[in-house]
Amino acid sequence: MASSQKRITKELAEVLGNPPEGIAVNLVDEGNVHNWNIVMDGPEGSPYEGGKFKLLLVLPTDYPFKPPKISFKTRIWHPNVTFDEHGSMCIGILKPEAWKPSSKIMSVLTATQNLLAEPVPDDAVETSAAEKFKNDRPLFNREAREYTRKYAK
Amino acid sequence: MFQPQATPFSFNAYGVGVGLSAPGAEYPAAFQPSSSVTDNGGPTLFRDPIFTTHYNQNPNPNPNNHRHNHNNHPRQRYTMADNGMNDMDAQEALAREFQPPLEGPLVGEKKSSAAITAEYARADPIYVAKTANLPQTYSHYRPILGDGNCGWRAAGFSYFETLLRTGDKAVLETEVARMTSLNNLLTVSGGFESWIFEDMVEVTTDLLRDLASLVQTSPQAASALLEERFNTPEISNTIVYHLRLLASSWLAGHRTTYQGYIEDVAGVDGYRKNVLEPVDNEIDHVGMVLLIDVLLKPIGFAVEIVYLDRSEGTSVNTHILQSEDANGVPTNPGGPMIYLLYRPSHYDILYKDSPPIPVQPLPQVIHTPSLQVQRVAFSQQQHSVQSTPMDFNLDLHGLLTMPGFGGGLPLQQSHHGFSTHYTSPIDRTYAASPISSMSPISPGASSATTPSSTTMASYSAQPMMNSSLSKPMVASHPAYTQNTTIPVHSHLPPHPSHPPALQTHSIPPSELPSPSSAGGSFRPSKYEWEAGWAHEGPVQFLTSTFKNSHYNTAHYNNPNFQPEEWSPDADDPLPTRKRSG
Repeated sequence: MASSQKRITKELAEVLGNPPEGIAVNLVDEGNVHNWNIVMDGPEGSPYEGGKFKLLLVLPTDYPFKPPKISFKTRIWHPNVTFDEHGSMCIGILKPEAWKPSSKIMSVLTATQNLLAEPVPDDAVETSAAEKFKNDRPLFNREAREYTRKYAK
Repeated sequence: MFQPQATPFSFNAYGVGVGLSAPGAEYPAAFQPSSSVTDNGGPTLFRDPIFTTHYNQNPNPNPNNHRHNHNNHPRQRYTMADNGMNDMDAQEALAREFQPPLEGPLVGEKKSSAAITAEYARADPIYVAKTANLPQTYSHYRPILGDGNCGWRAAGFSYFETLLRTGDKAVLETEVARMTSLNNLLTVSGGFESWIFEDMVEVTTDLLRDLASLVQTSPQAASALLEERFNTPEISNTIVYHLRLLASSWLAGHRTTYQGYIEDVAGVDGYRKNVLEPVDNEIDHVGMVLLIDVLLKPIGFAVEIVYLDRSEGTSVNTHILQSEDANGVPTNPGGPMIYLLYRPSHYDILYKDSPPIPVQPLPQVIHTPSLQVQRVAFSQQQHSVQSTPMDFNLDLHGLLTMPGFGGGLPLQQSHHGFSTHYTSPIDRTYAASPISSMSPISPGASSATTPSSTTMASYSAQPMMNSSLSKPMVASHPAYTQNTTIPVHSHLPPHPSHPPALQTHSIPPSELPSPSSAGGSFRPSKYEWEAGWAHEGPVQFLTSTFKNSHYNTAHYNNPNFQPEEWSPDADDPLPTRKRSG
């Protein structure tokens, strides 16, 4: 078994055996440990509360030397996630220059959860959402809740 | 033929004493050019001003970065700026902008280091002179892909390769134990959880075990396996990252020793996170020192870093990093030496007097007798040094004074660049016909039948330069191959007045139709022994083909030399490479 698969298998066992609260994980295809389906609950107190967000975690073949890629399959109105079918997410820990092989998938998942609770508008990919988040928080929260009801139920 | 001498090894911090038997033929005594800077024990850092601890985190260094680097070097001078050559700037830029290849194998094939000379033939004169001299000292080199891991990969590959060259299974097995015991360092000092690194360590130890199982039964298969593993990205990168973790952990465990050299504003921990641990981030000088300290010094391997830059001089600067006691005396003199060629932000591997490597058959060229005698002198002396690594001072004296052994003598540089190459085929021929390598005519004979001819022929552009001196060699001398009574292992005459031809006196003159015998046994040719010959300056190349060729090394002696055929726009496109390290 390739060493990347060994490492992924270990991490998968860890996440399955001790899943973080509000996060459920299963493999897209049981024969392939590189693609994970993730269902993440919207954090309490955030405009995403009550929503269930589907994410796809893709682990490259040269993992852990290259970072995983994570994207929202469920549309979400969030400064750090593109509001389109790609749902690309910008998160510091996954940037290639910042990624370290000593980072765990578990920490990627909890970091994603934290990002839902606390957007980082200065590092935004969805700039209109970031503008509203910074300048008109009530409007942003209202829109985010509406999209959560619309897409993430 | 020669008995390997057991060399006492230093004991490392982990109590693993490695009793390497170092066959002298494999490990030439550390011949240190006078420009070497040897550290005085403890953690080694480059104190020479050209070895600044500046590290460049920019994966795409541009010329301005290089200029910036050079401006930090007190010894850097743009001495050619005042000679009025309009395209000197372009030449300088070409030299400055050396960018290692970005595509191709992670670890390239070992090849003649004359390729480096050719690469720089159109560069500015400092590079031309330095690279022209390079092949005399370092016969071969192995290019490493510039993917940001070159320094790590070069040192890592050399570690395994040097272990292989011991030819000792027990050494490799001891390394499995040491690598496993270093997990303790990763956990305790480095603070890494074991699940992060255990797979990586397994890749390293698997390779050590596989090499151990092959090294004594099939050394060539072991070498091939090593190259294959290091060119399999997943395996190669895993081993490289293991080395990063080792260096980072070593630093964490010895932070007071190194922290003065670390420029990262975030200190030791920031340096570990920002420089050592990110994937594909090139190694800096502190990182290289850390890696040598944790990986190589404990088992008595020394590293000579050959610094190819635009500092003044006609030969490269070298720095030897090795384990030394409190008085600065190497703890493992004559031990294995690894040579790394450093160009700003890139490392490749160099070799001295390596075992024969396969060479492409090329058309045979005619060699001049005088050159051949010199080569014999050199290779024989070198052989003597190799087989007696512990008392090389005497031999070294002989080396430096032998007319045929250049070291750094302009004589040899200006005439041919292949003397060190020649030792390998000679080593091979010793077994069958020891005397052949001592006869001044034997290379001519062997050139028809042994790999030496192909080695020589790889310099097909150069031997022709000596055509004004040459007489055709007689192709074979079957008689002397019977004369195997002269001991192979003879020490060279330490005094320069003993010509190599002395050792041919037992051969009947009738078998020496070459000019070597024309003046009697002791003075075979004026090209060999006339005192003034060494000072006559470069050979004049009379044919127009070579007079103007950039292979004509006589150009290098002319400070105003500029290849007249070169034009930055019309000629070959400049190499466009984007990334180094």
